[in-house]
Amino acid sequence: MKDGKREGRNGEAVLAESHNLVHEYSRRDEDGNVTGIVRAVDGVDIQIKQGDFVAVLGANGSGKSTFAKHLNALLFPTEGTVYIDGMNTLEQDNILAVRQTAGMVFQNPDNQIIANVVEEDVGFGPENMGVPTEEILCRVEESLKEAGVYEYRKHSPNRLSGGQKQRVAIAGIMAMRPKCIILDEATAMLDPSGRKSVMQTVQRFNRRENITIILITHFMEEAAKADYIYVMKQGKVALSGMPLQVFGQIGKLEECRLEVPQVTQIVRKLRAAGVFVREDILSIDELAEELLKIRNCS
Amino acid sequence: MIRDITIGQYYRADSVIHRLDPRVKIVGTLLYIISLFAFRGFAGYAAAVVFFGVIVFLSKVPLSYILRGLKPVFFVLIFTSVLNLFWTPGESFFTWGVIDLTWEGLYKTIFIALRLIFLVLGSSLMTFTTTPNQLTDALEKLLGPLRHLRVPVHELSMMMSIALRFIPILVDETDKIMKAQAARGADFESGSIMQRLKSMVPILIPLFVSAVRRADDLALAMDARCYHGGAGRTKMHPLRYRGQDFVAYIVCICYSLLIFVV
Repeated sequence: MKDGKREGRNGEAVLAESHNLVHEYSRRDEDGNVTGIVRAVDGVDIQIKQGDFVAVLGANGSGKSTFAKHLNALLFPTEGTVYIDGMNTLEQDNILAVRQTAGMVFQNPDNQIIANVVEEDVGFGPENMGVPTEEILCRVEESLKEAGVYEYRKHSPNRLSGGQKQRVAIAGIMAMRPKCIILDEATAMLDPSGRKSVMQTVQRFNRRENITIILITHFMEEAAKADYIYVMKQGKVALSGMPLQVFGQIGKLEECRLEVPQVTQIVRKLRAAGVFVREDILSIDELAEELLKIRNCS
Repeated sequence: MIRDITIGQYYRADSVIHRLDPRVKIVGTLLYIISLFAFRGFAGYAAAVVFFGVIVFLSKVPLSYILRGLKPVFFVLIFTSVLNLFWTPGESFFTWGVIDLTWEGLYKTIFIALRLIFLVLGSSLMTFTTTPNQLTDALEKLLGPLRHLRVPVHELSMMMSIALRFIPILVDETDKIMKAQAARGADFESGSIMQRLKSMVPILIPLFVSAVRRADDLALAMDARCYHGGAGRTKMHPLRYRGQDFVAYIVCICYSLLIFVV
């Protein structure tokens, strides 16, 4: 099991999986003595297939970011194991390959751009991997175009908006030819239009290139776009399923200090009031269409 | 906008000098500075001035722009000039009371002033025509052999370029913190020097805290993108000498030979 590719539920290749993953932070006082232990992740079993778009939801302190950092070998399990594309993250020799396979976009756009010119930042990953110069230029051009930031390639990152910076960061990961992109609350600091552009970019990569997307977020509207949702609470997976199944369990979501998306709330209230709208509506556009249909019929 | 400040003083233009390999420019500037101190006599000065003039012309950087670089050394210039002019013993050509001007003093004043002026102008011309990134790249390459003496050359140049990347961000942040403090009644403009220095403390502490936090984030982001030091790293834009760079080297060497021989 260590190195061979594993197969998931429906026979597709499993890209990321964790077995009984536990991560503990130790709290220390000024002299470095351990004063307490916090279990940030507590026995998480997750299996993510190649090409899936998965959202990990959770309120602040639910352990979702800590979990994400394990998928990129930035943190290592206290107990349990994490496999990325069949590689155990605990093995020192696998670390670079794991990080190349599963790229990570962080929350703060400014703190993850390393170079002073956009295209050089996108080239940073391939440079570290020792990719030959011509190949780097090729990859950088391609990823910049796909992320929709090609026109800014010669700019300083300081002049870009938050959404553009995050797309540069995504391009920087795509240039490493990963199989998976992890977005660790990558939209949390963006304005609505920046958030939308980032989401569109990752969805495009997901659909066109079969890149696995793992979206760590607390925005329900973003999670609604995923194929599968895990909801975390106090380090454990409290709830999982397709978006509709998850959003259906309002009580449980509220226990996890999360709110059901607005569209789902409206659909529920409409149905309760006797307006017959379809139950499986997740986006505003779909709802608008459905309502127009109903108006035209009556 | 505070965000628009440029680090260094790069003047964007498309010229032969701009396109030269930054290593040539660093070596050339060094040779030029050494040459300024190596020669004596008018012929040498004339050569240095003409050489500089030609390069300025080729670089397409406006002369007024380059002369601006003299501002910070203006006082040093005046100071040394006055000292040299009035306190050099020799054959006097003008005496009035205690003031005694000598021919030797006059020559010395002019020569030393010229040396200083061209020293500053020469090095600022390099920064006008080379981006800070190119400079750090070139330094990494030029100092490369020091690696064998266990000098962390790659790490140093990486640090320099990251510092360059974060200066505008931290300037922006300082601005934000100052505004936040001012909104809470902080006063940075009045009071004695001590009071003003004290009022800087509430700016500096949050700034340091945030800089450390940023550094932490950045280290994580670099790790996540497979950064593992200089070993096995390739370059997206490696420095490669082209024909024009060899020509430039030959020109520099010819100039130096001329100066040292004259």
